[in-house]
Amino acid sequence: MSVVTMREKKNVSYKSCFDVIGPVMIGPSSSHTAGALAMGLIANKLFKKLPKKVVVKYYESFAETHKGHGTDLAIISGILGFEADDSRVLEAIKIAESKGIDITFLEKSGDSPAGHPNTADIYLEDDSRYIRTMGISVGGGLIKVKHIEIDGFTLQLEGSLPIMIAISGSDNLELELHRIFKKHDVDINNSTSLEKDGKYLYQFDLDSQLSSDARKELEKLSETANVIIL
Amino acid sequence: MYMSIKEIVDTANERQVPIYTLAIEQEMEVMRSTFDETWSKMEKNLKTMENAVNKSTEGDGVFSLTGLTGGEAVKIKKYRANGKTLSGDIMMNGVQNAIGTNEVNAAMGVICATPTAGASGTTPGVLFTIKETLQLSREEQIHFLFTSSLFGMIVANNACIAGALGGCQAEVGSASAMAAAAAVEAAGGTPEQSAHAFSTALQNLLGLVCDPVAGLVEVPCVKRNAVGTANALVAADLALAGVENLINADEAVEAMYKVGRQMPRELRETGLGGVADTPTGIAIRNKVLGKEE
Repeated sequence: MSVVTMREKKNVSYKSCFDVIGPVMIGPSSSHTAGALAMGLIANKLFKKLPKKVVVKYYESFAETHKGHGTDLAIISGILGFEADDSRVLEAIKIAESKGIDITFLEKSGDSPAGHPNTADIYLEDDSRYIRTMGISVGGGLIKVKHIEIDGFTLQLEGSLPIMIAISGSDNLELELHRIFKKHDVDINNSTSLEKDGKYLYQFDLDSQLSSDARKELEKLSETANVIIL
Repeated sequence: MYMSIKEIVDTANERQVPIYTLAIEQEMEVMRSTFDETWSKMEKNLKTMENAVNKSTEGDGVFSLTGLTGGEAVKIKKYRANGKTLSGDIMMNGVQNAIGTNEVNAAMGVICATPTAGASGTTPGVLFTIKETLQLSREEQIHFLFTSSLFGMIVANNACIAGALGGCQAEVGSASAMAAAAAVEAAGGTPEQSAHAFSTALQNLLGLVCDPVAGLVEVPCVKRNAVGTANALVAADLALAGVENLINADEAVEAMYKVGRQMPRELRETGLGGVADTPTGIAIRNKVLGKEE
């Protein structure tokens, strides 16, 4: 695996006023409930369907307090694709179990491998594939995605959203992605390209949310590539 | 993006525009959204706050699953109805709405995080009491939320708003400071006065620890929002009276961040220190966790 390109720029975590007045959410904790749900949604977007098995590892404050904060319900809600103010959040584990999903929560002792007190490590699998993602909940419902394993690739990330990932069997994809970014005036803070066994992964830390036109055009690429917009 | 409170105050003065205008402009630019999208999102947040406050006094009130918190907003409402309170009805109206919102939050109801869920009562506490005092229109209430958001983003990007990183000073402290700044603007104060109110409110809650009993956002979180609201109203009144601060708002944010870094892990949302570590706190922890296991 080789890193082809890398470009750094200062990241501002809280870009929207609705990061601090918001989100609208089911209580009781923005970092341990809404943030946890956001991490589950990342896993959902990476896996793109319901898993058969879920393993969640908690570290530090998450390990100490997940029970009282509804963190378990929140992460499973995200994995099921529910939004933070969805009334089904309270029933998420029951709903998941009724769909035959096997769920395990583990409280890990010691420091977070991501260096943050609010850390969760989420693993999803079914018969054919798995994904893993480790996120940190930095406050007010905002998260950073520090680690992703998908389709044989491993990514270590700065973690500020939005992040775009595209995986394809052809390296023609890179040119196409840059053409779309240029057309829609998308600013890239940082990018990584990986190659492994004839497969290519392109990952971009985006400076701001994609416009709906840019999003549509990128999603069209999913006919030939695995396109993920986080 | 605005990265300091000084930049916000200077720009508002130079351009002679209110701070909420700067907040809306920045949001539209950074998030590439239209005015209508931005406005309706904030309107939804306001509606969520109103719903939570209303829900808190329906019937006997709302109660959390553990039963540790709930029903206090109803008690305060009844107490206020007697017409005789020590801190006055404007203050107790704010306190009722702050506590009510956090009771709904603890009961896993729907709230708007401001900036966090644990601190979600402070902002509506201030907003809905000055709404009556100042006869604020719906539009002006939405302006209040935009102004407080711009101050909140400075705290979030330069310090932190998570109890696990900075203690309760980062949550209720930040919320109180944001609301104080917005209250000053709503009352017709200058941008400098907003910054002074912000600084006073944050300094007054500096060092506040995050020590949730059994790790739950209930005790002492719910009542701390009462203090967040009261502190914001006092800080706003002080600023409007012309009382200034030697330590400016940006320095107060920096101080809050440093104090957070100096706090031991036990006092940063682990449920291991402060009131969580009292005999009663420990007994509640054992009972609550025992129930679940």
